[in-house]
Amino acid sequence: MSDLGFTVEVFQNEFLPAGGSDVNAIVTVTSPDSGQPQQPTGAGAAEIIIIDCSGSMGAPQSKIVEARAATSAAIDAIRDGVAFAIIAGTERARPVFPADGRLAQAGGASRAEAKRAVADLRPGGGTAIGQWLRLAGQMFGSFPSELRHAILLTDGKDEHETPADLDAAIRASEGMFSCDCRGVGTDWVVSELRKVSTALLGTVDIVPDPSGLAADFAAMMAKAMGKQLADVSLRVWTPQRASVRFVKQVAPTVEDLTSRRGPAGPQAGDYPTGAWGGAESRDYHVCVQVTPGTVGQEMLAARVSLVVGADVLGQGLVRAVWTDDEALSTRINSQVAHYTGQAELAQAIQDGLEARKRGDEDAATARLGRAVALAAQSGNEDTAKLLAKVVDVVDAASGTVRLKRTVDDADEMALDTRSTKTVRTRK
Amino acid sequence: MTAEPPTVPIRPVAGQPAEPAPVPAETPALSSPEPPTVPIEAVTGDSAAVTLPPATRPCPACGQPVFADENYCQACRAPMTEEAAAEPAAGAVVGGTPVDAAAWRQSGAVCGTCGSGPIDADGYCEACGTKAPSGRDHEETDLLVLAGVSDRGLRHFRNEDAMALGATQAAGGPVAVAVVCDGVSSSGRPDEASLAAARAALGVLLAAAEDGQDLAEASTRAAHEAQQAVKVLAGPPGSTPPSEAPSATFVSAVVTATGVTVCWLGDSRAYWLDESAPAQLTTDDSVAAALVTAGIMSEEEALASPNAHVVTGWLGADDSGTAPHVCTFQPPGPGVVMVCSDGLWNYQPDAAGLAERALPAARTSPLAAARELVEFANDSGGHDNITVVLVPFPPAGPLPAGPHDVTRELTP
Repeated sequence: MSDLGFTVEVFQNEFLPAGGSDVNAIVTVTSPDSGQPQQPTGAGAAEIIIIDCSGSMGAPQSKIVEARAATSAAIDAIRDGVAFAIIAGTERARPVFPADGRLAQAGGASRAEAKRAVADLRPGGGTAIGQWLRLAGQMFGSFPSELRHAILLTDGKDEHETPADLDAAIRASEGMFSCDCRGVGTDWVVSELRKVSTALLGTVDIVPDPSGLAADFAAMMAKAMGKQLADVSLRVWTPQRASVRFVKQVAPTVEDLTSRRGPAGPQAGDYPTGAWGGAESRDYHVCVQVTPGTVGQEMLAARVSLVVGADVLGQGLVRAVWTDDEALSTRINSQVAHYTGQAELAQAIQDGLEARKRGDEDAATARLGRAVALAAQSGNEDTAKLLAKVVDVVDAASGTVRLKRTVDDADEMALDTRSTKTVRTRK
Repeated sequence: MTAEPPTVPIRPVAGQPAEPAPVPAETPALSSPEPPTVPIEAVTGDSAAVTLPPATRPCPACGQPVFADENYCQACRAPMTEEAAAEPAAGAVVGGTPVDAAAWRQSGAVCGTCGSGPIDADGYCEACGTKAPSGRDHEETDLLVLAGVSDRGLRHFRNEDAMALGATQAAGGPVAVAVVCDGVSSSGRPDEASLAAARAALGVLLAAAEDGQDLAEASTRAAHEAQQAVKVLAGPPGSTPPSEAPSATFVSAVVTATGVTVCWLGDSRAYWLDESAPAQLTTDDSVAAALVTAGIMSEEEALASPNAHVVTGWLGADDSGTAPHVCTFQPPGPGVVMVCSDGLWNYQPDAAGLAERALPAARTSPLAAARELVEFANDSGGHDNITVVLVPFPPAGPLPAGPHDVTRELTP
């Protein structure tokens, strides 16, 4: 990015009552708009597409057929000069293109060769997602590049390794590359792929019908090609005797970053945000607990900055001012309230679906009802529509719902994967 | 001031100053046989003693000092051109610029709260995060013929009071001018409102004193200019909702060798302090004052009532409908004129009590006396911003030679 000036805006009610210690703020970060499509960053970017080739991909046959077509579409969307590779995943992982396990530079010839190799993919074998990630990590590691991104497609449960194997592979991949995960059909497990996508700063979604894969892959790749700056961290400085209660990304999706904190010098921590494209905007909810000051005192509760290595791209200040004026201290910032509601919405959906799986209908009804009410209140229409496929809404405002007797698996999985999507509100 | 203005202004009994009864508007017929000497002027509210960049330049039309951030002359309303803006101050003396974070860093000061951290570029302690005092948190201005102190107090997070002090040599001798404004907390940007108002009024009053104009008339004009300056802050009509319109109280005192001209709107006050007949020269535009005047409550009861501090007159885009009051006062002998915000008189409303605290020090060292009064208010709770300006009467020279910075802040 030619101009690294990120915009950081802070929305908060800085006024606290005497003795108040929790400081909440929504921090909106916007990357600079570079104008037109960026110059190819060439060797700066690398892409790996990981295709599930387990036996189940052949049943129905359309899964492997569409997966091949989608991979070809994604290959076409890779910019000239970007390093890329294709991996076939079973209970092992195999480099499909280039076959030597290195990365190829995208161009007319390499794309055509890659597509020929993809056309030969045949289903057969098991599923060990951790193995796929490990091979991707090795291949990325063989080539110096800043923006390292993978697309991972599966149709089944990770059953040919232990959960511990997968966890270890995820840990080894963290910070190495980012990964967008897609599940085709309804035989895969949302929580498994979410574990991968969350740790690797990517997205997770369901593609219920294989025919939707090509468009989705092309869009994912186009988005990946728009990324210009890798390894951006949100740095949060807090005063002595203060603690960060949480740091969450709250838009475009809810991602709790609190446990992802890495060291960044005295009184500061870095939270990974991954790669950024031009004119991209994300919101973060930062909550800091400070030692209460005296009435009339002002304190810097947090300094929030966007950093790449030693470079500060932008920063905003979260303040605390103690007052005995109740009219000031009782004001609720609309941004903080909105995103607190959106985070609760995501949690209520996940809790509700979990309870439903356990057979706890009362808890499922209560939590999904709460979710319906929150989605209606905040105008999150997409989520409201997804909820309406799982519950019968009696009264959205009060959150009165009845569980549907039969629910399509794809609808339940779509609600689960998309529960973290939030809507923005007017500033 | 702590309470918000009522939506319907309550008109108090208009402009009847407390005893002693005002003498009829006295017009000190001060002619100007020679060009006015350099006015010495100090405006605090954003001033600092750390460095002294030229904070004003003379108006190309009338020669009055115009502040660096103003694009027209407050005295004659002539627009300021870029060339004029580039000119350094010719003679007027004003306070400098706000204590900025860079000055703190350069000074190597450590945080006054935790005692360990250096101050960062944004003005906060790098260790405990506490905001370093700066700008208007505490200011002192000493023009010898008069002096003032303005302080954030203990309970407010910023100082919304502003004071503007000036002195000049007129035909009849030295003239001292003091203006104190108190931003209405419940309005928008009250700190800017009070500063803009005080600055605007000072310019008018100093020019009038030099030119030997009618000081009562000039005071009304000064209040009007202050009103305009506050209105400007609200932007074009309709751009600021009435409840957010910046507003402030106003009190000015012009002290000549022969008399005192006081003008006010709201509940900032002027007092005459001496040993024999101390007096409050202003009558608050407030609910409490109206209750007392109407005979409904005693002063003590009224001040204890919940709406005591609701003002019924103020400067602002949401015009209170109350006209500024003017009175002139002929001191019976030597004494001190005090102009102050309610942050002081809340703790000592009666003139005799204030005279006892201020005298005799205020006669000879007004700065020290003003400091003590501010300290008294803070010791009593410091619930509001506190501003005190003391002017010994009759004003006695010499005036400090300008240009130089006469404002001292809480030094880093």
